[in-house]
Amino acid sequence: MQRKDFLTEPVKHIKLKPGMTVNELISQYRMSGCFGAGRLATACDIYEKMLRDNGCTIYLGLAGAVVPAGLRTVITDLIRKRMIDVIVSTGANMIHDFIEAMGGHHYKGHWFVDDYILYKYHIYRIYDIFVPEEDFIKADEKFVQFFEEIAREYRNRSLATYELAWELGKRLNDPNSVLRAAYETKTPIFMPAARDCEFSYAFYLHSQRVKPEETLKVDSFKEVPFFIDIFRRSERNGMIIIGGGVPRNTIQHAAVTARKGIDYAIIITMDRPETGGLSGSTLEETISWGKVKRKANKIMVTGEAVMVFPIIVASVMERLGENFHREPHPKGGI
Amino acid sequence: MKSEEERKEQYCGNCSYHNVYEYPSKIFCTYRLVKRLDPVVSTLWCCENWTPEEEECFCVEDAKKQAEST
Repeated sequence: MQRKDFLTEPVKHIKLKPGMTVNELISQYRMSGCFGAGRLATACDIYEKMLRDNGCTIYLGLAGAVVPAGLRTVITDLIRKRMIDVIVSTGANMIHDFIEAMGGHHYKGHWFVDDYILYKYHIYRIYDIFVPEEDFIKADEKFVQFFEEIAREYRNRSLATYELAWELGKRLNDPNSVLRAAYETKTPIFMPAARDCEFSYAFYLHSQRVKPEETLKVDSFKEVPFFIDIFRRSERNGMIIIGGGVPRNTIQHAAVTARKGIDYAIIITMDRPETGGLSGSTLEETISWGKVKRKANKIMVTGEAVMVFPIIVASVMERLGENFHREPHPKGGI
Repeated sequence: MKSEEERKEQYCGNCSYHNVYEYPSKIFCTYRLVKRLDPVVSTLWCCENWTPEEEECFCVEDAKKQAEST
């Protein structure tokens, strides 16, 4: 590298005008190409490439309370428009989807509040979102009922977590529900840590009502070969990670196990790498494991996902236009 | 033998099995759910498994106010 090679492209300043569309703003961000603006513009470009790549299966990893915060319909629309093929989620995000499908709500609250007063009023807090206890309890009541039904149908056979998601979605009527959309489109939602949330409490109640042999049996190992097979059958694999955690590594680890490596990667996180935790680990670190390919199209956007992700989706939808059609991947079906 | 005053405070809303179902008047009793009884009961009802563990909730207070006003 010579000195001139470092100084090839000057920063172009962002020009704003009234009535700009989302993608016009992103185009201006690309002209700057710096800091968060540059990263966000690159993320839009990578997602567009994933969608236009006819051999790419797209995985969405969900961690953090993005469903209660307002991304529920964005995710449902992406499923229905076939703009993602596979979801790997915390159980909690699906719990919150279920709560809304049951008629419950998440309320705009505030982070600066006396939490002990909330406790006494039976209101739970997720940063600046308030959730009434009764909405959780009504969901638990339904889970107990559904778990018994599903356990009866499956008899002693275990379900993979994506099968549990489909069984729950089958029993919901809300078209805006992530679980419902996944069931209708046969989009798998893997929940590798399904018991790390309200599912666990509902299961406990269920287990107290029936004999041990009559309980619902969910096995997150059962789906591993199926998940690996999706990677194997895909010509290329692209991931969009919101947050990180267990969903991110479930996707990345499958890429290694399938001996494929990931071709496209967008990570939206606010975490830092110094703890060694996965949510903040850099994409370069991921390359050392063979999880993401060295030459992959990849970017990490440092930002809060409820703010960042809809901008990426809106920008890319605008580029693709209303008539864009994408077949589900991998080819041959899930 | 509990005094009348103590009995008055034995609301299902004070038991350790309760959660709110319809604030403040209805609660969801997980003990009853497990026993396959109707789990939705009045907050001011006294559960057969009432325990003297103090729950610092507003639901009993508010349910009493609501009951008085109707």
